[in-house]
Amino acid sequence: MADIPRRMPVTVPTVDSAWRVRARRWRELLGSVLANPTTVVGLVLIVGMLAVALFAPAITEPNTPDPYQMPRDWGALNVPPGSPGHILGTTNTGGDVYYGIIWGARTSLRLSIIVVSITVVVGVAIGSAAGFIGGKVDEILMRIVDVFLSIPELIFALAIAAVLGPSFRNIILALAVVFWVKYARIMRAQIIHVKDNDYVDAARVIGDSRLRIYLKDVLPNSITPIIVQATLDMGHIVLVGATLSFIGLAEAGLAEWGVLVSEGQAGISAGRWWASTFPGLMVFLWALAFNLVGDGLRDVLDPRTETAR
Amino acid sequence: MQIRDYVLRRLLVLPLLIVGTSIIVFSLTRIGGSPIGIYLSHEMSQDEVAQLEERFHLDDPLPVQYLFWASGVVRGDLGWSGVAAAPVTQVFPTKLAASMELAIAAAIVAVVLGLALGTYAGARRNRLPDHLTRVFSISGASMPLFWFAILLLIVFWVNLGWFPVGRSDADIYGRIAHPTGLYTVDALLAGDFAALRDALWHLALPAITLGYGATAIIARMMRSSLVEELQEDYVDAARAKGLPERLVLKRHARRNALIPTVTVIGLTFGFLLQGAVVAEIIFQWPGLGRWMADAVLRGDQATIMAYVLFTSVLFLFVNLAVDVVYAYLDRRVVLGE
Repeated sequence: MADIPRRMPVTVPTVDSAWRVRARRWRELLGSVLANPTTVVGLVLIVGMLAVALFAPAITEPNTPDPYQMPRDWGALNVPPGSPGHILGTTNTGGDVYYGIIWGARTSLRLSIIVVSITVVVGVAIGSAAGFIGGKVDEILMRIVDVFLSIPELIFALAIAAVLGPSFRNIILALAVVFWVKYARIMRAQIIHVKDNDYVDAARVIGDSRLRIYLKDVLPNSITPIIVQATLDMGHIVLVGATLSFIGLAEAGLAEWGVLVSEGQAGISAGRWWASTFPGLMVFLWALAFNLVGDGLRDVLDPRTETAR
Repeated sequence: MQIRDYVLRRLLVLPLLIVGTSIIVFSLTRIGGSPIGIYLSHEMSQDEVAQLEERFHLDDPLPVQYLFWASGVVRGDLGWSGVAAAPVTQVFPTKLAASMELAIAAAIVAVVLGLALGTYAGARRNRLPDHLTRVFSISGASMPLFWFAILLLIVFWVNLGWFPVGRSDADIYGRIAHPTGLYTVDALLAGDFAALRDALWHLALPAITLGYGATAIIARMMRSSLVEELQEDYVDAARAKGLPERLVLKRHARRNALIPTVTVIGLTFGFLLQGAVVAEIIFQWPGLGRWMADAVLRGDQATIMAYVLFTSVLFLFVNLAVDVVYAYLDRRVVLGE
């Protein structure tokens, strides 16, 4: 523990509540995040994508009974972009590419939010247990993490989704099984680092319970790298999920970008480039947006990685 | 000595990790139920099915089944691949050779292109080439490989007709012997330059596709470490003694910037391994990745298990090698100070 200062400073700052201090810090943080133009580009892209996802039913007439299924226009197979009623063209089964792009944004948002929420909660819980309790618990949990990390993530997810059977739900499940590990590792390292701070000792001296110390002091001070990773994963998970559905692990006919690219693949040798190109571009932009913002957040939140620009 | 201890410790943990991985792989495939389906046909009676189950020990408890499987793996028996209609170990070497050839080509593309781009951008910091390289690097992490591959196909195969799809022209491939299974090497050994051209011609697009992600990472790393090195005193000293800028870059800064970049090159190996599945599907490359994709779609558990186990073990060894190299370089840096 550090030495207790003998004299108090002459001007005593007004005591703010921890929440006030944190709110102020977040405001400052937001300012420095917005100072980076590439981050702003990413943010604009994210807002646009989210708007498309949220307002999909208003942008295009939902298909009945299941709006997440592509509507089929059997009278207009393989029409090129710019055709009346199909501004981005159709697939070889009459699926409207424009509809797939709009509702694909909704599918992607669903996928990324579910997977990121599950993996963050599980990863933070397990990483916290390992870092905060330590000892045997830490040893066992981290060996499990090591084994999970030894299988390449896409191949692991591919195998899980394959075994569970092809469906979008199983893709979500497979990604959740694979992606919690990173959070557990980050969280454990953070907690071990934060645990040694004087304010944690201070709380212990006052007689706070371990749970209270964890919730009040350790967790809020360990969470920033998790936020960065979660932002990056919002994009990365859509990328991997679309790859799995491209390979053929989602239901055929689902309004999802990877499925659409796969559907369009058959036509490219005949010169029908549109059905694959547009949905693939959406996957790229989605991943790019979250990568730009995630990188920007990391630069601001984690000064250690700041290298020469 | 420290390094030797470190390597030894890592090597001791390695078998445990491999066993752990094999348990995960095994239990994983059994979540989906018995793998009997792929061995059945419609004409089989109930008795025959039971016989099959007994023959493959599928009526035993799971831990016993695991031991049967694991002892088979150790003896080099990875089961019967339903997709290839042959034992896994019999098909594996040919597919591995095809995949290896593609991965090596992709690695060459990534290293050569990545280092060149990184150097070019780093030496022109904050000018147009640097900004363009940054855009390229950032998009590397966001690019869906399957989309990039299809774009290449649309431009270079459909519209320009410059590059073909598949691994080879069947006639040319058939006329030379294949002792190594690597088409380019076999063509060289046979002294057949038409075959070599055919091999390289087929390799180009899939290698560029597969190398893309790794190129972006290497370029980014090379660029930032070069920028750092160029701010060091020894660079000023070299300039002060009148060395032309080109030589300052080549003889001094670039050499030191390579040290951190080398470790990144090892880490990009994961990209090649995972990207191979998609690249091989799209370019109809007859390697492990495409075999895995077929197995996945048809529930061929023996192939899935063999593939996941193989890539994981490979991944473990490569990561170990990268860590050892890194520890070695790290030590040198500390000792040099």
